[in-house]
Amino acid sequence: MTSYQLRAWLGERVPVADIVEALRRKRVPEHRYSIWYYFGGMTLFFFIVQVFTGGLLLLYYRPSAGEAYESVQFIMTRVPFGWLIRSIHAWSANVMVATALAHLFSALFLHAYRRPREITWVSGAFLLLLILAFGFTGYLLPWNELSFFATRVGTDMAGTVPGVGHFIVRFMRGGRDVTGATLTRLFGVHVAILPAIATALLGLHLFLVQRHGMSVPPSVWEESRRTGRATASIPFLPDFALRDLFAWTVGLALLAGLAAFYPWELGVKADPFASAPAGIRPEWYFLWAFQTLKYVPASVFGVNGELLVVAALGIGAALMVVLPFVVPDRPHARRVLVWFAAAVLAYMALLTFLALRAQGGGPTP
Amino acid sequence: MTMMVGLLAAMAIVLRASSGSAQTTETAAQQAFKEDVHATAGLTCAACHQGAPATYAALPRTAIAPLCGKCHSDPAYMKGFDPQVRVDQYTQYLTSAHGKRMSGGETRVATCSDCHGAHGIRRVRDARSSVAPLNVVQTCAKCHDDPVRMAAFGSRATPVKDWSASVHAAALLKRGDTSAPTCSTCHGSHGATPPGVTQVANVCAQCHVREAELFRASPKKAIFDQIDQPECLACHGNHRVEHPTDAWVGFKEPAVCAMCHDERMKGASTITATQKGLADMTAKIGAAEVVLTRAERAGMLVDDGRAALRDAREHEIHSRVLVHAFATKPFADMADPGVRAAQESQTVGERALHELQVRRRGLFAATVVIVGFLVTLWFKIRRLGGAGGEPHA
Repeated sequence: MTSYQLRAWLGERVPVADIVEALRRKRVPEHRYSIWYYFGGMTLFFFIVQVFTGGLLLLYYRPSAGEAYESVQFIMTRVPFGWLIRSIHAWSANVMVATALAHLFSALFLHAYRRPREITWVSGAFLLLLILAFGFTGYLLPWNELSFFATRVGTDMAGTVPGVGHFIVRFMRGGRDVTGATLTRLFGVHVAILPAIATALLGLHLFLVQRHGMSVPPSVWEESRRTGRATASIPFLPDFALRDLFAWTVGLALLAGLAAFYPWELGVKADPFASAPAGIRPEWYFLWAFQTLKYVPASVFGVNGELLVVAALGIGAALMVVLPFVVPDRPHARRVLVWFAAAVLAYMALLTFLALRAQGGGPTP
Repeated sequence: MTMMVGLLAAMAIVLRASSGSAQTTETAAQQAFKEDVHATAGLTCAACHQGAPATYAALPRTAIAPLCGKCHSDPAYMKGFDPQVRVDQYTQYLTSAHGKRMSGGETRVATCSDCHGAHGIRRVRDARSSVAPLNVVQTCAKCHDDPVRMAAFGSRATPVKDWSASVHAAALLKRGDTSAPTCSTCHGSHGATPPGVTQVANVCAQCHVREAELFRASPKKAIFDQIDQPECLACHGNHRVEHPTDAWVGFKEPAVCAMCHDERMKGASTITATQKGLADMTAKIGAAEVVLTRAERAGMLVDDGRAALRDAREHEIHSRVLVHAFATKPFADMADPGVRAAQESQTVGERALHELQVRRRGLFAATVVIVGFLVTLWFKIRRLGGAGGEPHA
């Protein structure tokens, strides 16, 4: 069978040519903010890296309190290139959070959430929350001292929710305290439940992005209308795809460099009976919330301070998800949103900086 | 006349002061007794002070120990307060240097109240007690650190600073280990007496069991007995027991072997072999530690190396104990595996550093490939020409 015959045989059964043709016809706007279009693709790239490296880690990882730490140690010292796979998995998780945040804020600042892309935004917002959940559930899996106590502090926060708080804590931990049952539970969520939901949401998100195309920022659109010149654009294939590939390759080089020069530490094995060591902290992307908890008094007008922070975070997350439905598509509302989002971003950056300075170092490792 | 008035006034002042002083002493005694172990057990002043309250007076010093012994030597009585309590204190006291002298009428030696107090007696396990581990040295030192007082008995004072400089004091005062030896641990408490030359090893052996066993089985034992050497004390001293170092083995300062031996004497080869063995092990362990630390700082996992180094350190500790065998073979049997473990640890560290180099070379090669790919992509993108003018909806 010649390659032509093979293509014909395949084309009859799978409409690859139609898809390629559709992509060939697809065009992507090109303007001064185009650089921000690539962060979504980079987040997708890091997600693929996570799936690939996570699958390899699963070959050796054992999700039990007695074996988790030792199995990660085995991966890092005995399995050929195990150190590289584990380091890339850990670094990629962190870089993915950074690119996802950059993607979300760029979509917000460029007002890409507007009609008809509301559902694209909502699916993306849920994907960001899922990425954070991936980070939280994966943090405990090496079963080291830092992750053990940070998970205890993190799950404790849910206990402040009135009425159902204690049930949520017990549900997350699989018992009263963080134990092997918590590890097994979070492992299941990390490798089965979250990937299943994320894959479905990602499929929807990508489909909608393809369906609606890239959003042109209102300012660029207005400029185009004023000057009477059409907004410039480039073909998706090959121009945009090659630029995306360029960004992915830069991401790959970054991961390789980080893994080789800053291998992810394993730390000391968790001892549930030991007292919490100094310097317990969550991953860098939760530091701003962690620092906020430190500043809020134990009781504010008779209300539990921790509960106030948890409530504020919940309201913030909910507002983020429903943003397209609460912000009117008017220039004034858009300006207010930009200033508000900038203030939130500045707050997060400042609190993260203060938390890092208080600890006298950067994020793990 | 004036002199007479002055004298009367002075007498009045003295009498008043004396009456006031007696009152103050009694009040202080009553106050102290409130927290006394006897008061908490339900005893009153009359338990010790026989007769009417108005005649309460200081007891004769020779009568104090027999008075305490009346109850504390009575098992039937004491069991009512504590079924586990010991009742041999008075018997022990009579065998002590203090008790013997007191029985002979010498009242300047210590009796019960000198160490335990009179009206504020607390249990030994109470940290505020004058005989609690942290306080007992100062209690003994009240007399034994006083050269004038000790000279009266033809003895030399024992400066507390000697014990304070010892490993035992460091264990108690710096590490807070209340099981660390104080005066009473070695000399006894109620039966306190200086250990004789032949008993010193028995005292030390209470804690340093292995060292004592090795020494007793060594050729040194018979020699020391023959020349009346006080075993452990010959090298380690008594009150100022300092932390031994490997430099104690050898023929030059500060080696303790050099006090009796030189290179030409019998046993010199054992000293040389032991000295070399200790030096080798320390050097290997130090070198392994340096390599492992370098590897760890570079982010490498060297847990196997750390385990081997722990093994080497354990062998090092046992080897130092085996110095007390004063023989080459048992020492070498312990030191050689330690040296091998240290070498293994160093090898693990070196392998990790080599692996790090391989990783970095691999990264360099990968970076060259990636950069090459990026450059190619860049040129390809440039050739494609970038943005077109086609309208975008």
